[in-house]
Amino acid sequence: MDDVKKAGMIALEKAVSAGASYADFRYTYTESESLSYNNGAPESVDESLDKGFGVRVIADGAWGFCSSADVTENEIIRVAEKAVEIAKASAILQTKPVELAPIEIYTDSYISSFNVDPFKISTAEKLQYLAYLDELMSQNEGIKYRNSFLDFRKINKNLLSTEGLDIHQLIVQSGAGVSVTAMRSHRDRARRSYPANEGIFECKGYELLDEVDFENNIPIICQQAVALLEAEPCPSKTCDIVLDGSHVSLVIHESIGHALELDRVFGGERNFSGTSFATPEKLDNFKYASDIVSVVADATSPHGLGSFGYDDDGVKAHESDLIREGILVGYLSSRETAKRIGKLSSGAMRADGWGNVPIVRMTNTNLKPGNLTLDELISGVDDGLYMQTTSSWSIDDTRENFQFGCQIAWEIKGGKLGKMIKNPTYGGNTVSFWNSCDGIGNRSLWRVWGTPNCGKGQPGQNGRVGQGAAPVRIRNVKVGF
Amino acid sequence: MSRIIDIFEQSLKKSTADQTELVCEKEEFYLTRFAESRIHQNIGRADHTLWCRAVIGKKIGVAKTNILSQESINELVKTAIEICSQQVENPRFTSLVSSPKAQQTEGFYKSTAEYSPLNRAKAVKTIVDIAGQDKLATSGMFQTSTTELVVANSLGTRQQGKVTEAKISITLSDNSDRSGFAQAYSRDIKDIDFRDVANRGVQKASRPNKQVELQPGTYTVILEPEAVADFLLFLGFLGFGGRGMFNHRSFMADKIGSAIMSENVTIAEDPINPVIQYMSFDYEGVPRSKVVIVEKGIAKGVVYDSYYAHLNNVQSTGNALQPDNSYGPYPKAMVMDAGDKSLDEMIASTGRGILITHFWYLNFINPMLTTVTGTTRDGTFLIENGKITAPVTDMRISQSMLEAFNNVEALSKQRRLVPKFGVLMYVPAMKIDNFNFVSLA
Repeated sequence: MDDVKKAGMIALEKAVSAGASYADFRYTYTESESLSYNNGAPESVDESLDKGFGVRVIADGAWGFCSSADVTENEIIRVAEKAVEIAKASAILQTKPVELAPIEIYTDSYISSFNVDPFKISTAEKLQYLAYLDELMSQNEGIKYRNSFLDFRKINKNLLSTEGLDIHQLIVQSGAGVSVTAMRSHRDRARRSYPANEGIFECKGYELLDEVDFENNIPIICQQAVALLEAEPCPSKTCDIVLDGSHVSLVIHESIGHALELDRVFGGERNFSGTSFATPEKLDNFKYASDIVSVVADATSPHGLGSFGYDDDGVKAHESDLIREGILVGYLSSRETAKRIGKLSSGAMRADGWGNVPIVRMTNTNLKPGNLTLDELISGVDDGLYMQTTSSWSIDDTRENFQFGCQIAWEIKGGKLGKMIKNPTYGGNTVSFWNSCDGIGNRSLWRVWGTPNCGKGQPGQNGRVGQGAAPVRIRNVKVGF
Repeated sequence: MSRIIDIFEQSLKKSTADQTELVCEKEEFYLTRFAESRIHQNIGRADHTLWCRAVIGKKIGVAKTNILSQESINELVKTAIEICSQQVENPRFTSLVSSPKAQQTEGFYKSTAEYSPLNRAKAVKTIVDIAGQDKLATSGMFQTSTTELVVANSLGTRQQGKVTEAKISITLSDNSDRSGFAQAYSRDIKDIDFRDVANRGVQKASRPNKQVELQPGTYTVILEPEAVADFLLFLGFLGFGGRGMFNHRSFMADKIGSAIMSENVTIAEDPINPVIQYMSFDYEGVPRSKVVIVEKGIAKGVVYDSYYAHLNNVQSTGNALQPDNSYGPYPKAMVMDAGDKSLDEMIASTGRGILITHFWYLNFINPMLTTVTGTTRDGTFLIENGKITAPVTDMRISQSMLEAFNNVEALSKQRRLVPKFGVLMYVPAMKIDNFNFVSLA
């Protein structure tokens, strides 16, 4: 059916007549293009179209969801009825009916900000750009492997509900990145990437490529990769560390963002992604971090990969406090989870495409910038390490104990950067780590870093989220695992 | 299925590319999730993904859609050809493959395909009720799904197959330290004993005595099959594929014929094993075959798709992934040989050690050394003098997986099917010496 609104009305009417007390209809049509280059040759050029719809219902006080790629009237009716059948099956274990926090009802259209539609740029031009990046990387003869990629997505999404929601959104996202590997032997190699481990992803159009300084930074990472082969390994000790913004993004994501997903807090991910130490009785009284740490969830961050107009509950995008001056003051929530703590939804209910049910996800989890320059952060360390660019990460299922690694580090002695260190790693506890943060980079060092591949849920859903981050300084961290 | 083949035949006839490949993966998928002893997510999904790979000379274009109609597939072919025309030649590419008809897979069970939402909910209720008797809350997931795959290309390859999957995993816990994980998998839902799954979870969560904290250090461990599968999955991704062999990023590179694991370790990609019943052909339509990867500790081989098979001068083993993947082939159906001891005997023979149910969030620290970090989870126990004496507070490991597989003292007679991230593994429990823990989790 070409008329999405009509399709939605059929679904909602059928769901209600089958016994649903609440129903929503979500349709998405997504265009994707990804291109990669590998050692002087295109590795892949993929274009993709994906469309379908999902019907989510509450019947007999329980949730049901069904979806299909076949957007025809007969299938819409089948799917709506199946969603209600599934909900009624769920109800045999429902001790208390699902309740939703109230929302404002909108009829609206949202378009993310972009200048150049990447789908209007030819594949040839995109490949030419990757060839240019590859050429830049090939200038350093010490580099054995060169990889680069471009990634574009255009999402058209409609949400209608029995409460009267009627929302259309058009979101354009772009991504790009390079990585180089130097090697002395097959088992002795060093990798560097730019701008971050996973590249850069934002809600922007093709203009993103003009804003990333590949030209000046590719020679730097190539030199660093070669130099890392001769660098000393990370010492095992306890010391102060300064982390670059792209890596702080990961730390926020793993130790704050995921920890404050309210479905996880209630045990909704107990069997898979785990739970959280940040349980509801800690709200408004728990010292999560030092006084200089404030974190917000902000789905309105300009160009943040986790930005949108409305979440998949129909909640209008807004900023909400998570940590204020070190104190836990909020969660990422949905209408259902927020209701359980007597709050309104933070607007974080998001589904991966039409075929998945919305779950609580990060939007843009932003650490508010501080007031220090990078030099000031480093000069405050007598003995420590400055680490850049994520290489590995692991955190336990309650989001307390973690071990992270970076691609490169430099020793800090007497407030000055010293020799290069390879394979730097560090570990710690979320709460003691963030309470040991005594310096945050200023606004000029701050940006929202996109994470294009956040995994959560069963079946696995891929989330596109962002983290606002600047470099930070953390005292007394165990390094060198 | 026949409708898809008919559509593919028409589109292949119309294609102007030198070679054209069409693939359809159709899925009917149901999954019930539960937490706090209630169902909180319960979904159904009908989807199909269609790929076209067009070849002109040595240029390749791949396009994907989920819109299934003659018009849409014709358009998909045109898009792939358009991408081709803008591509640069890949001098390493030779050709798509012409494959004989694969043996029909036997992995389809109507009992699984037709399992209803109500039956899934009732099965979950059985588990919740059993756990409730021990005052344990239940969380988990229960999936039933049917996957159909059709591959056709202009060189005459025509394959179609259908398999079902039923899988359930549970974590039972309460507000104290108690927790226990259990899972089961089968192509045929009738083979899954929900009471047995529940009882295994209860048994783990209800071990007597207070949880103890152990100091980081080196211990003898017994990995249950789910924990073995966590490691094997990573070894498969990292080292058992032809891409890593070609670019020397695999730990198997230059090691074929050498001892890399303990003598009691044999690993094969065995999709035709009757326990596995994997789809009998890959996404290029090449019949899947058994590949011995490690035999009695000796590195023997890895798996290939047609591209990396050509680059390594071998035959494809039927391990091609979807046409738009850039990861390269890796094993999808691994079987490890069993040992000769029961799990109880392995525990009884351990003076002091740790029993690990499974791991969480494994990630590489050093891929070339196969060193990973991660934590134990939901069922970690101290063994003293041949007996399980107490639950252990979860710990973080930092361990070379190859070293672990080279320190295998014993394997269990019993094996379990463990699905993880699209890879199916049939593995025993393993007793491993000198396993490294770095901190509390």
